Amino acid sequence: MDFDWTEEDRTYRARIRNFLERELPPNWVEISRHGPGSREQTEFSLDFCPKLAEAGLLVPHWPVEWGGANRPAWEHFILGEEMWAAGEPRGAQYMNVNWIGPTLMRFGTPEQKRRYIPEMAAGKAIWCQGFSEPNAGSDLASLRTHAERDGDAYIINGNKIWTSYAAMAQHCFLLARTTGEAMGKAGIAIFLVPMSTPGIEVRAIPSLIGHGDIHEMFFTNVRVPVSARLGEEGEAWSIISYSLANERVGIPRYELAVRVLGGMVRELAARGAFEDHVVRARAGSALASCEAARMLVYRAVDKRARGEMIGAEASMARVAVVEADHAVTDFGLDFLPDTFSGRAFPAHLAHHERAIVTGIAAGAAEIQLGLIARHWLDLPREAT
Amino acid sequence: MRFNPNEDQATFLSVLEQMMESEEAGWRQAHEWARFDWSAPFDTMMEENGFFDCAVEETLGLVAAAAMTYRVASLPIAVECAASSILRPQYAPELPRPIAVIERHAEDPIRFLPMAKSVLFLGSDRISAAILNPDAVEPVESLFAYPMGLLKTRELDWQPIDADPDAVHDSWRIALAAEMTGALKGGLDAVVAHVRERHQFGRPLGSFQALQHRLASAATKIEAAYWLTLKSAQRIGPADAAAALGYVQEASTKVIYDLHQFMGAMGLTLEHPLHRWTYRARLLRSSLSGADANLAAVSAKRWSAL
Repeated sequence: MDFDWTEEDRTYRARIRNFLERELPPNWVEISRHGPGSREQTEFSLDFCPKLAEAGLLVPHWPVEWGGANRPAWEHFILGEEMWAAGEPRGAQYMNVNWIGPTLMRFGTPEQKRRYIPEMAAGKAIWCQGFSEPNAGSDLASLRTHAERDGDAYIINGNKIWTSYAAMAQHCFLLARTTGEAMGKAGIAIFLVPMSTPGIEVRAIPSLIGHGDIHEMFFTNVRVPVSARLGEEGEAWSIISYSLANERVGIPRYELAVRVLGGMVRELAARGAFEDHVVRARAGSALASCEAARMLVYRAVDKRARGEMIGAEASMARVAVVEADHAVTDFGLDFLPDTFSGRAFPAHLAHHERAIVTGIAAGAAEIQLGLIARHWLDLPREAT
Repeated sequence: MRFNPNEDQATFLSVLEQMMESEEAGWRQAHEWARFDWSAPFDTMMEENGFFDCAVEETLGLVAAAAMTYRVASLPIAVECAASSILRPQYAPELPRPIAVIERHAEDPIRFLPMAKSVLFLGSDRISAAILNPDAVEPVESLFAYPMGLLKTRELDWQPIDADPDAVHDSWRIALAAEMTGALKGGLDAVVAHVRERHQFGRPLGSFQALQHRLASAATKIEAAYWLTLKSAQRIGPADAAAALGYVQEASTKVIYDLHQFMGAMGLTLEHPLHRWTYRARLLRSSLSGADANLAAVSAKRWSAL
């Protein structure tokens, strides 16, 4: 067992920090004010990601064949920590890097790979993820969006909701049912749909968590060729189980939380309020929560790095990250309440604004607890 | 970053697991309603095989000692492992064991004192040790599932230990975190086994979501505490040891409550071992002045420049 970074890891992290220091503009705080899904940050990402790609820092863990350098999973993870902690200058493109690209590499046809992967590796692709529906959120397998076969095409009809990045996306990674609803998980297929296809309408929903994070999408007689289907009919569930295992540990929120906490502590010290025993105990508690989350996330990444399937470890990591994010927010709200209004402390605002989403996005915390109960503790499934 | 044990650590831990399967390590009700079961044969087995010295073996190290302490604490028997495997090899290799540790006041009831051959005093500015003779100790009754005793005299032959008190305190934090996390894990395993088997309302208790989520949450806290503890044993960050102990102490309130809730009346008896784990954890909660003090120490160490 070795829980320390190697010298190579440290050098790599320093390289990313230097890159960020050099490439993030002085008005980055303004650009990133409304979050990774905002128009400003999305447009910025289309300039920034090609620079990352050029420096070999966009998809270093991908195979050489697809523009990567076959770098270890850990480097990819260090990259993710630094990007998220810097306010995610890749915007929505982190999804391509983390899971959409790797999913296409594994399950895509040669034509799909050629069409989509190089664009992602160049830092010029914005995707959205058409999963949740008005009546299929946590119970994703009950989704109703329908894709009906019509010769060499499918006709797609239905609604999606809570979709992040949809207004700015060029492509949608869409789940739709090719058979009757009774088929559950078995009846779902994945479609790679250009958002410019006639019949797609996107409506932004104003949200608490920044701009561009929540949309509704309406698909009305959207015609896509059979070649837009990823994998076979009925294969979607096994494919996204693979993808989501990567996504669940995908956002290293504790790294930003630790840095925000450090800023809060410095502010308290500057105000002469960091000598108080209660403040110190609470800061220590919040830090311990973040470090606990970090260890559980690293353990899942370690499994991935060794090429093992990540199971309940990913769910445990998610649950711990939720607690860590909230511990830091609560610490700030309790001891620095004045910094959460106005514009003087943008990091506090951003963290407070987005921490609320932690337990909901990518499978609610309660879903994760259920997965832990079944797959880690081997408890019997709840009676229906 | 590597979470798997190296080859020697894996062998070491698997031999330990085999020993833990032995009869001496299993659940036995203690005589005369006693709350603890001191297993001298298991202690001897560990000592004779050199397990308590693993921290100074180059390929095993303090990380293996912490993992061992965690595993041994999940047994229903009382074993003095934490001080012997984490403090002794580093600071007082000649000290006879079992060792009782005095953290605060020498007049407090001290765990393991009735069986201890020596005592280690962790003062804020000095560390000292003394050999014990049986006359110096008076066993005391206690709810906690440890043998507890009082030191009748402070007139022992105290020898100073040449070590940085702060470093020794951190080592003790690692040891306590490992022991406490292991105790909670022992309790969790017992409760999970119980709710899988026990049927009420025509279904296993463990199929109720009200229990599932709380047990899943407990399992997550225990896993996190375990990895925090092992990491702290590698001595990377200055605040790691305090964070590991403070984290598990803070988490234990809810975990212990839930474990007893789900075991129901069976967990109130001395015929079931649950109390061995939960009452040990309850005592360890107060170690080194408890969660708030250790979490405040996290702040002091992490942000020492402020």
